[in-house]
Amino acid sequence: MERRDWLRTVGAAVPALAALSPDDLLAVGRAAHARAGGSGALTAQQQATVAAIAERIIPATDTPGAREAGVAEFVDVIVGQWYAAGDRERFQRGLAELDDHCRAFLGKTFGDAAPGEQDAVLTGLEAEARALRAANPSAPRHFFDQIKGLTLHGYYTSEIGMRQELRFHVIPGRYDGCIDPAAIPAPPGGGGL
Amino acid sequence: MQRRDFDAIVVGSGISGGWAAKELAERGLRTLVLEAGGPIDPVRDYVMLTQPWELQFRGWRDRARQERERPVQRRCYACDEWSEKFFVRDDQNPYTTAEGKPFLWIRSRQVGGRSIVWGRQVYRWSDLDFEANARDGFGTDWPIRYADIAPWYDHVERFIGVSGQEENLPQLPDGRFLPPMALTCAEQFVKDGMARRFGRERVLTIGRCAILTTEHRGRAACHYCGTCERGCTTHSYFSSLAATLPAAQATGRLTLRPWSVVHSVVYDPRRGRASGVRVIDAETRETVEFRGRIVFLCASALETARILLNSRSERWPHGLANSSGELGRNLMDHTMGGGASGTIPGFEDRDVFGRRPNGVYVPRFRNVTASHPDFVRGYAYQGGAGRAGWGRGSSMAGFGAELKQVLRTPGPWSMNFYGFGECLPRRENFVELDPERVDAWGIPALRVHCGWSDNERAMLRDMSVAAAEMLEAGGARDIAPYVQDNPPGLTIHEMGTARMGRDPRTSVLNAWNQCWDVPNVFVTDGACMASSANQNPSITYMALTARAAAHAVESVRRREL
Repeated sequence: MERRDWLRTVGAAVPALAALSPDDLLAVGRAAHARAGGSGALTAQQQATVAAIAERIIPATDTPGAREAGVAEFVDVIVGQWYAAGDRERFQRGLAELDDHCRAFLGKTFGDAAPGEQDAVLTGLEAEARALRAANPSAPRHFFDQIKGLTLHGYYTSEIGMRQELRFHVIPGRYDGCIDPAAIPAPPGGGGL
Repeated sequence: MQRRDFDAIVVGSGISGGWAAKELAERGLRTLVLEAGGPIDPVRDYVMLTQPWELQFRGWRDRARQERERPVQRRCYACDEWSEKFFVRDDQNPYTTAEGKPFLWIRSRQVGGRSIVWGRQVYRWSDLDFEANARDGFGTDWPIRYADIAPWYDHVERFIGVSGQEENLPQLPDGRFLPPMALTCAEQFVKDGMARRFGRERVLTIGRCAILTTEHRGRAACHYCGTCERGCTTHSYFSSLAATLPAAQATGRLTLRPWSVVHSVVYDPRRGRASGVRVIDAETRETVEFRGRIVFLCASALETARILLNSRSERWPHGLANSSGELGRNLMDHTMGGGASGTIPGFEDRDVFGRRPNGVYVPRFRNVTASHPDFVRGYAYQGGAGRAGWGRGSSMAGFGAELKQVLRTPGPWSMNFYGFGECLPRRENFVELDPERVDAWGIPALRVHCGWSDNERAMLRDMSVAAAEMLEAGGARDIAPYVQDNPPGLTIHEMGTARMGRDPRTSVLNAWNQCWDVPNVFVTDGACMASSANQNPSITYMALTARAAAHAVESVRRREL
C-alpha cells in the first residue's frame, strides 16, 4: 500500500504549493533541508583569522559582508571535508605563515591588525599569488587564491549573499531575455531577510 | 493476495515506460509497470526549493562520498549535491568495459526513471534521418519513414507540452508548439548576424523543450527557477511521474510495482511466446513471476539488452529473440563537445530576468543538401548567451568593497555553441553479459565495448570550426574554439542494442517494435533505434512507444497475441 502513496501526492502537490507565496515556498524548502554544521578542521584562532581575511575580501558595505554571512564556517567545512590532502596542507600552512608574518612585522595577529594593515598584507599576498601563476600556470593554487575563491563561493551562496547582495529571486515567475535592469523588480521582501 | 496475471507488463517507468503504461491502460489493458527503483514523492524528494546555503557543500557535492558511491554517475552534470539521489549507486550497479574503451553509463532507478532528470530537449526526426542508413549504407534501413511516425509525434507533443518556434526546415520538422521562450539580446544579435552570412543554411532558433510556457492539461507554466533536474514540484516540465503515469493511473487499470528488478523474460517454448517476466524484489530478494499476454521492455537501451541477453533458455541460448545475433550490438551515443565560445560586445545596459531552463538550437546543416568531404551524417548545436555572474570574481584582480561592487552587477555577455553529432551504427560497438560480475541482486553485469569511429571524430573537429564561423558572423570577439574528448555514454543518448529493421536476419525488431522471434515482446526504448540521427532522442522513443502500444492492443483484440 505504501508503495502507491506517491500517486496520491502527484495530484496533491500542485494546488497545495500554488497557494503559497514565494517566501513561504522558501521556508518550506528551508525547513525540509536543515543545514549541516562545521567540520572542526580549523582551530578557533584559525577560524578567527579566516573570518578576518574573508571580511576584507568581501567587507560589509551597504549590505553585510563575509563575516556576517558565515563564510568562515563554510571554509572550515571545505578545508576539513572536501579539500584533497595537499590542498588542505597548503591552506593551513598559508594561514600559519600569515599570522607569523603579522606577528613579526606588526606585532599582532592578522585578526588584531587594523583594516589598513590587513589590506596591505593581503595586497602583498595577492602579488605573490600573481607571481606564482605567471611563473607556473599549472602550479597548485597559492593560499591567497584559495581563500579568495572560498570566500567568494561561500559569500555568494549564503543566504545573505544571494538574497541581500544579489537580490536573488527564488521564483522569478517569468522570463525576459533582454530587460532594462531598472525594470527588474525587487525580490519579495525587498531582498532583505 | 497480490495479482500475478496481467494483460500487459511494462518494464521500466521512465520516458518510454510511462508512455507504454498510459497508452496500454487507456486502450483497455490491465497493465503492470515494474520499476527497479523506489517510489518518488515530489513533496518529500524534490529539492527545487533547496537553496545552496542549506547544503553542506554549497553545491560542490560530498566529493569523498561520491567517489565511493557514484564514481561514474558523478560525471553527469545533473548528479550534483541536490540531485545525486536520482542516480544509481555504482557500487550496487556495476558494469565493466573493454580495455582502453571507457564508456560512462549514467542511470536512474526510481519511479519516473531518468525522466526526473532528463535534459528536456525535444526534436523531431525527418526523412533525412530515417533514410540515412539506406542512403550511405551504414547500418540497416529503418522499416519506417517520417510519415509513419508524424501522427505519433503530434500525439505525444499534444500531451507532454513542447515550447518552441516554427522554422519550416525540412531537416527538422515543426511540431505542435506552445509559445517559444525568449532569446536573450545577445542571442538575437548573433542570430541576426548569422542570418546575414548564412541565410537559411544555418538557423539559430530557441530550443524546443518539454517545458510549459502556458498552463497545459492541469500542469502549471514554468516559473523559471532554472534548475529542473532537482525535480519540479509544479510539474512544469514533462516527466512520466508528472504526466503519463498519473494518466495511466486514472484508468483504474494500472498496477505500479516499485523495487521490482527484472531478471529476465520468461519464454514458453510450447507457444513460442513470452509468458511473463521474472522479478527479484529489491527489498526482500524474493523471486516473483508475473504473467502477461504482452511484454513491453522500456528499461533503457542497455538495461533492456541486458534483460534479453539474460533471458536464456534451451531455445534461446544467446538471449531471447536473438536469432539475428544483433541483440546487444550497434550501440550508439551522440558524440558531443566540439564547439566554440566568444564574447558579445555591447548590451551592457540590458540584462535577463528569470533563469530560462532552455538554450538556443542550430539545426543540422551538414550533408543536408551539399555533401561534406570529411564525414557522413551531421550534427546540431545547443548553446546560448548570457552575462557572467559573480563566478568571474576569482579570476579578477583585487578584493574589497570595489570588487564587491563590481560583482553586484553582471559581467560581459558571452555566447557558446556546443555540438551534438550523429554516431554511426557499428556492429563492433556492443554489450554482452560479463561472465564474472553480478550486481547487488545477483544479475549478471554488462560488459560494454564501445568507441568512436573516424566519422564521429571528423565531425567533432568540424563542429568547432563551424561554431567559430557562426560566432564570427554573429559579431563575437575573443572566439575560442574547442574540441572535447568525451567518452561514449556521457551524452546519455545510448541506443541501438535491439534495432528495428526490415529483415529478421539483420534486426531484432520489426516495424512495430515487435521482436521478430517472439512477437508478444515489444522493445520501445532507445534499444530499438536503427540509427542515431543527431537530435535528442527521447521524443522519438515516446512516439514509437505510443505507436507500438496502439498496434499491440489491436493485435490483442484480433487475438493475434
